[in-house]
Amino acid sequence: MEKDKKEKLKIGIYELTGCAGDALLILDCEKELIDIFKAADIQSFLMAKSDNIDGELDVALVEGSVSTEKEKKELLDIRKRAKIVVAIGICACFGGIQAGFRNKKNWEKNFKEVYGDIQMTHTKPVQSKPIDAHIKVDYYLPGCPIGKEQFLSTFNRILRGNPPELYRFPVCVECKWNENECLLNKGIPCLGPVTAAGCGSICINHNLPCVGCWGPVEGANLTSEFQLLQEHGFDRDFIKKKMANFSGTGMADFLDKLEGEKK
Amino acid sequence: MKKISVEHLARVEGNGGISATIDGKVVTEVKFIINEGPRLVERLTVGKTPEEDVNLVPRICAICTLSHKYAAIRAMENALSVKVPPKVQLFRELMHLGEMIESHSLHIYYLALPDYVGFPNAIAMASQFELEVKIALEMKEFGNHIMKTASGRYIHGENPVIGGFGKFPTREELLWTKSRAIQFMPFVLKTVNLFCELDYPYCPEDDTVFACCNPSKNKYGFAGDEIVLSTGEIINKEDYKSLTNEFVVSHSYAKRSRYQGKPYSVGALARVNNLGERLKGEAGKMYRKYFDSRWKKNPLFNNAAQALEILYTFERIPRLVDELLNYPEDPPVVKYKAKEGKGTGIVEAPRGLLIHSYEITDALVSHTDIITPTAQNAEDIERYCYIAAQKLLENGEGDKIRERMDLVVRAFDPCISCSAHMAEVKKAPQNDWKEKLEEVKKKGPPVYVGVGKRTRSDDGLGIELALKLRNRGMRDVWLEYEIAQREGLWKNKHHRPLIFLDAVDFREKPGKVILLPLHYIFTNAALSHRLLPFISSEMNYERLKNSYVLGIQPESIQEGKKFSKSVRLAIAAVLAQILN
Repeated sequence: MEKDKKEKLKIGIYELTGCAGDALLILDCEKELIDIFKAADIQSFLMAKSDNIDGELDVALVEGSVSTEKEKKELLDIRKRAKIVVAIGICACFGGIQAGFRNKKNWEKNFKEVYGDIQMTHTKPVQSKPIDAHIKVDYYLPGCPIGKEQFLSTFNRILRGNPPELYRFPVCVECKWNENECLLNKGIPCLGPVTAAGCGSICINHNLPCVGCWGPVEGANLTSEFQLLQEHGFDRDFIKKKMANFSGTGMADFLDKLEGEKK
Repeated sequence: MKKISVEHLARVEGNGGISATIDGKVVTEVKFIINEGPRLVERLTVGKTPEEDVNLVPRICAICTLSHKYAAIRAMENALSVKVPPKVQLFRELMHLGEMIESHSLHIYYLALPDYVGFPNAIAMASQFELEVKIALEMKEFGNHIMKTASGRYIHGENPVIGGFGKFPTREELLWTKSRAIQFMPFVLKTVNLFCELDYPYCPEDDTVFACCNPSKNKYGFAGDEIVLSTGEIINKEDYKSLTNEFVVSHSYAKRSRYQGKPYSVGALARVNNLGERLKGEAGKMYRKYFDSRWKKNPLFNNAAQALEILYTFERIPRLVDELLNYPEDPPVVKYKAKEGKGTGIVEAPRGLLIHSYEITDALVSHTDIITPTAQNAEDIERYCYIAAQKLLENGEGDKIRERMDLVVRAFDPCISCSAHMAEVKKAPQNDWKEKLEEVKKKGPPVYVGVGKRTRSDDGLGIELALKLRNRGMRDVWLEYEIAQREGLWKNKHHRPLIFLDAVDFREKPGKVILLPLHYIFTNAALSHRLLPFISSEMNYERLKNSYVLGIQPESIQEGKKFSKSVRLAIAAVLAQILN
């Protein structure tokens, strides 16, 4: 027994800029929480405890996007200390909603409109980026916020030294399991076909279209979704915007390409 | 010049702190600092459809997610002239009550209470208030459950939309909610007594202006179309700017607000001050029993006000469910044709007035303005902290400043876990650490734990000391990274003192050594409520009482591997004394 305890993995959970929803969701795993904390050695979790330690880590879970110089430094330090870095939630994976200004000029213009010319004394702002813009990321756990089931299974696998098995299919698959009627067939613009699964198709279960808040699924056929929505009579700008709302940098290449094309 | 600061209020929608600068007998400056990065959410919503906006804005904060959604929906419906049927309005009220229960019960029981009943944190408090801690957690879960039922998931649920809901709960679900609410009543009444009878300190007290939503029909509640001020003024929601007058300060990405050039307060205390006379039933009785003039001046009474609101909420839910059951048919989402419009929506988030205002042009958002409660409270948080610091200084109680500022910031409930974690260091009393160490040793051979970060010069002194002790063949010496795995360390050595070796900044000359009880350092570090079951198994109050910090004043904690000379000498002295 003593031996097992010694082999507990050291875990750090970190929050950069975002809504803190992913950390909150981990805390909302009330029944499983005790087991989580028994199975792993949680070294740092600012939202949950105050005796945090910035030491060597086996696994760092990072939520939020990088939005200030200070966060960038912090992230680089986390990478140095951790063997495995997992991006949790859409902000860490793709930059989230705040990475919506895809080009830098646009971001600078908007920053100025909000804060004017004031010089920030505490830390310098930078354009929001997903964490892999600054460091190498080993695994990506999508979600807005992350889903409890996928988080627990991922966490469990990592604890046992295995790579996580993420849902590599779109929301549509879960939606079929839940026997919902397809909203696209009714002409309602739904992003289910290109969005990463894991939420349990919660919006469609409530008769509402998927807004794409988990970001694109691996290998999403964006062109096909785009055409499909066009066939239903939605205009290019509307579709582009819809796809861009949550995806941050996730669909940037596709969207930039569309910008380049003629209407 | 001296600076007293609490560096990490664990979250104010992220990361914040408070600091006071003192020059002799005068407090020269107090700053409530928010380190959270800029997200430009208002600008992001420009060009989106109203529906997309309502998807996006709750992402501002995972804790007040439903209040944001509610305010945005109300604003959009005003802008687009959407009228929703009564069942929709009632169900929105229910979802909002869920958020109130969740947020208030967490704040008062887990974050605020330990300060007032003489425990260093919620974990230690559990030893004496086990029942309260347990039931409060159930109460919070009940709030969560309502939020999930109404919105689809715990956080960022999409079920509430402009014009109604995607889906309504079943009759069974509603009846269960009603019966569960009734079950909680005895505990809720006890909660009000407990928090209204706490011994709130008299400092700081000063007049302020309170602002909150003015619910229609002279009712108590958490939404309305007007803002009412404690001065008696009524401001139409569309004129909210005459209240808020936003501006930017250089030490925060959160904007600030002032009314007629002066700070004002929002939150439960503002609501009870402005609307308390409207409370009926048990909540009304309790209001008449406890409310007095101090509630108008002292921000610490926000805790009592939140307790009173929990009672209001639990009395309201059974009636609300009955009203909902009068409408068996689920209304479809209301469609609208308007493509232009301007509208504001105001609701009360648990921590105060939340304003969303939009302009729609050609079916897209062309202007967005969002004002959060913590942004409005920031100026008053600074002002009350200033008053507290100055007053304590004048009374020769300068050593209480840090603690009191913590108490004030926390009372405003700036965001749930922001108040959970405040790095706390007090000015240390004079004591002879050598004498004290020998006293501690008499209780049993101490277990030593080295704490710190070796890459940050003097901050590494705890680790250095521990390693040196080990090299000298001493047993039961651990490094901070190791203790989590050493359950035996915590569990089976109760009789043995536990001494943390650490660099502690107690504003003394570098190299000064001090030995203090652990809770003296961690007085206000309320570890998370939600982790209570876990942490309480790791460390109980008995254990805590027998734990100490042997601290050395560092000269520098900059990146670097070298110790300063004064600290090096101190390390040698401590080593000799421990091995003595």
